[in-house]
Amino acid sequence: MLNDIFIAPFVDMVEAPDFLLQVLWEGLVSGILYALIALGFVLIFRSSRIFNFAQGIMVVFAALTLVGLHAMGVPAWICVILTLGVMFVLAVTIERVVLRPLVGQPDIILFMATIGITLFLIGLGEIIFGGENKVMITQELGIPTGSVVLEPMGGLLILEQQDITAVAVAALLVALLLVFLNKTRMGRAIRALGDDHQAALSVGISLSQIWVLVWFIAGIIALVTGIAWGARAGVSFALEVIAYKALPVLMLGGLESITGAIIGGLMIGMMEKLFEIYWGQPLLGGNTETWFAFVLALIVLLFRPQGLFGERIIERV
Amino acid sequence: MLYRTAGQFKTSYQADQALFPVRQDAALLAIILAFAWGVLPLLASEFAFQTLLIPILIYSLAALGLNLLTGYAGQLSLGTAAFMGVGAYACYKMVTLMPWLNPVVAILLSGAFSAGVGVAFGIPSLRIKGFYLAIATLAAQFFLVWLFEKWGWLYNYNASGAIQVPNLTMFGVYVAGPQADSRVQYYVVLAVVSLMTWMCINLTRGTLGRTWKATRDMDIAAELIGINLMRSKLTAFAVSSYVVGVAGALFVFMWRGAAEPNLFDIPLSFRILFIAIIGGLGSIMGNYLGAILIVGLPVVLGTVPEALGLPISSATVEHLNIMIVGALIVFFLIIEPHGLARLWALIREKLIIWPFPH
Amino acid sequence: MTRLTRIAAAAALGGLLGTAALAEGLSTPNLAYRTGPFAATGIPLMNGQADYMAMLNARDGGIGGVMVDFSECETGYSTEKGVECYEKTKSAALVTQPWSTGITLQVLPKTNIDQIPILAPGYGFSPMADGKVFQWAFNTPLSYWDGASIILKHIRQMGDLTGKKIAFLHLDHPFGKEPLPYLEMKAQSDGFDLLPIPVGLKEMQNQSAQWLQIRRERPDYVIMWGWGAMNAGAITEAVKTRYPMDQMLGVWWAGHDADLKLVGEDGKGYKSVSWSFPNPDAPVMADVKRLVIDAGKSQTSAEEMEGVFYSRGLVISAILAEGITVAQEHAGTPDITPADLRWGLENLNLTDARLAELGLTGMVPPFSTSCSNHTGHSGGWILEWDGAKFVKASDLIMPDTDAISELEQAKAREYAEANAPWPVNEDCES
Repeated sequence: MLNDIFIAPFVDMVEAPDFLLQVLWEGLVSGILYALIALGFVLIFRSSRIFNFAQGIMVVFAALTLVGLHAMGVPAWICVILTLGVMFVLAVTIERVVLRPLVGQPDIILFMATIGITLFLIGLGEIIFGGENKVMITQELGIPTGSVVLEPMGGLLILEQQDITAVAVAALLVALLLVFLNKTRMGRAIRALGDDHQAALSVGISLSQIWVLVWFIAGIIALVTGIAWGARAGVSFALEVIAYKALPVLMLGGLESITGAIIGGLMIGMMEKLFEIYWGQPLLGGNTETWFAFVLALIVLLFRPQGLFGERIIERV
Repeated sequence: MLYRTAGQFKTSYQADQALFPVRQDAALLAIILAFAWGVLPLLASEFAFQTLLIPILIYSLAALGLNLLTGYAGQLSLGTAAFMGVGAYACYKMVTLMPWLNPVVAILLSGAFSAGVGVAFGIPSLRIKGFYLAIATLAAQFFLVWLFEKWGWLYNYNASGAIQVPNLTMFGVYVAGPQADSRVQYYVVLAVVSLMTWMCINLTRGTLGRTWKATRDMDIAAELIGINLMRSKLTAFAVSSYVVGVAGALFVFMWRGAAEPNLFDIPLSFRILFIAIIGGLGSIMGNYLGAILIVGLPVVLGTVPEALGLPISSATVEHLNIMIVGALIVFFLIIEPHGLARLWALIREKLIIWPFPH
Repeated sequence: MTRLTRIAAAAALGGLLGTAALAEGLSTPNLAYRTGPFAATGIPLMNGQADYMAMLNARDGGIGGVMVDFSECETGYSTEKGVECYEKTKSAALVTQPWSTGITLQVLPKTNIDQIPILAPGYGFSPMADGKVFQWAFNTPLSYWDGASIILKHIRQMGDLTGKKIAFLHLDHPFGKEPLPYLEMKAQSDGFDLLPIPVGLKEMQNQSAQWLQIRRERPDYVIMWGWGAMNAGAITEAVKTRYPMDQMLGVWWAGHDADLKLVGEDGKGYKSVSWSFPNPDAPVMADVKRLVIDAGKSQTSAEEMEGVFYSRGLVISAILAEGITVAQEHAGTPDITPADLRWGLENLNLTDARLAELGLTGMVPPFSTSCSNHTGHSGGWILEWDGAKFVKASDLIMPDTDAISELEQAKAREYAEANAPWPVNEDCES
């Protein structure tokens, strides 16, 4: 038993290093996607203290719009622009109809409202696009398909080109986002709002403008996530469940930290894969990925309640 | 006019603090109870029992359990369904291992297992708060559902991995399983739910309830006035999980008749959370109002197109249903964030002074 | 009172008192799912079912002169919704078509009391084949255990099974676990290694962990019990990990054209067992096209019509319609009761000649049922994906009925004991 837990997995890792690398790569790719979704959460949480549960459905909705428009015969790149337009309209609508009347309500009420939005979008999406699984328009968007086969140490390592693209695009997106948040006026306004609502309002930052902007950025992130994930597994409403995977990432990385979301996402992606392959499948009957990330985050939080990168919570009486 | 409180004088604090300071409240409750015990079961069809009456009661109880934790003690939980599952599986194991056990006793006992698991998963609440805690309760949600799936002993190694309620009798009458009559099941559910509600009302009005409320309102202040936060939070988890576990056992044994692990997955948790929030956090009655809305609405909506003769396919109706429920949640949160219970409180206040508002 | 509130009140009252509008004709409600993660595979099947009944109504004026009322109740593959649908439709229904193993398991004990037959063609609980115990349940023409047996037989044709390693990639759900008892039994008797790999409902679209396991274990064959979004996920991952497609075999629900179209040429060689096959030249297809699709009475697209699943939907309705016809002849009246229909479904005899008469040539293997045999064990074909569509890759393969019926009876007995008191029909011959 002890051998199975503490020795055998590591022997396996050393004996088949190419397989270990493959596991880590698969973990990294899922991790990137978790990180992207978590990033959407963090942006919205920082600027409005809303725990936006609808991020998952926004991913599905963006991907469905893209594929749906393309099915109507619109060229791929125009589809992307139109989809961005749809996400913008969605952001404006959410701000007008849902958020504005709820300003100042307790966190849990806003959280529930985003669940309401989720249900609404699921229904709407199913009516407009139908429930069947659709193929992501990978080639039309110029995303390379096929795979790169490496042979490190005489083994076999298969890297999908679309995964490599996803990793690259995600990295680029994060870099752009960081530049935007730190260097531009709008970006600074978002951060100011996150630090102190009242103070930000008093220096003339418009709450509603910023909220629309933030939800729109979350929409862009959703579209990128939707394309990357849709290319792997097709586009359907089942995608929505990956949003849950972003939650332990947030616990681990902290609800307010962008770095935390990225590093947390990558860590969870890789660790859950390692655990599943080397411990979960042989010892526990598999499928441990559903809970491993949550339990890991829970254990970390018991020792560091603010998460790995969260701001230290100081309570005053 | 009917609700006039004139002439009802209170001469002691005890009378002022009574459960029904206004006589009409008690009368209203008596009418509702008479309806629930006497009139509805006579009128209702099999369909009404199975899709409205029994589920509304069970969902109310589950929401009540969650409300104790979230509404009274201020600890947000997203893992309700998993604790219902613990209750259901515990009950299943008990009745299959000890077939002589009275089913109602088994149902009431199964809550104890759920309470134990609830306390274990409540321990993180001592360190973390708010959304972090909410996500932490998701750990319970996902882990327990996985366990129901993987631990063969729990479902007696059935090939399908599902649990099937056997025929159970009490005093010679079938109360659970395929042979049981809906009316009998309704009465069992009603009895258990009434008992639990009575218990919860008293708990929340007593020392424990006040301790929870203090913890919810400001934990540091509560600690300063000598409340043991650890005890307060863990008792909240225990009592809440007990009620939720009993609701879970009722859910499977008195209503569903069979259950597979993913029944207890996150959509059910959210459903119960909706009920608690739309009904009103920190209210007992709200759970019933919320359950009537959330359970009843889709059933009613489902019959509307047919009644109007609209040619809409059942799938579209279902999609519209989801949309409407989503929109209604947002709508209710906007017009009355404190839920239906608060709405009723406002109506009641108006009624008391009606028709002379000055 | 405004009009709207009046309607709402009427609806609420109607719901409470259960006075649903009385259906006219032969009520054969379908607990369909056109929503949710399984909708992709569900929609063509439900379209096929509905179109066949619509065709009968248009061509023959229903069955035996009575129109068929084929209504759908949406379940979204949720067991809870399914039970609600069952309760809602059962007052007028001749039959229950539960469309999910989970719903079937839940409704199974209730039908015994409500006395409405369950028709679960090619799904549900395999021991339902034992008609003595499951008097009201039918899973024609093949059960999951039959399917597993046909797949193993096909593999055996390619070489001995002893010492081979067979991975069983399945949905972690009652449906996916259903064939396990049979496969475990065969693994012992035939000396192969069985490696069950579950795919959680949340992981259907991201099966990289499962496929890493397959890469590590290098099984000789992968048998796939997939459904909905899981199929597309598995096939894409298989292509990605370079798993040889010709060593991958799926159950009939894992042979959906749209899933394979995602990978196209790369999926060449993938096989799936099936008890139905599209035959565009069959007379019934022409009738459906002319009377239903061209008449605009259907949601079916031309592409969908060519698929395996659509034709399977047609076959499912054809089996039900045949059951109704037989029942009408036996009862001597076109207005049959559920009990009559049970007799009809127990006395199906779909010979080649009868299938030709119905215009279903080549779309389903001939089979017959009896009081004690509620499945029929028709046998099935192995279909192979040729890069653009499924083609037949084998002759009709019969399941290993002897071993299966023994297991069926044992498990059926177990079920009856666990659910005592459970009425058993001892009058059946054999």
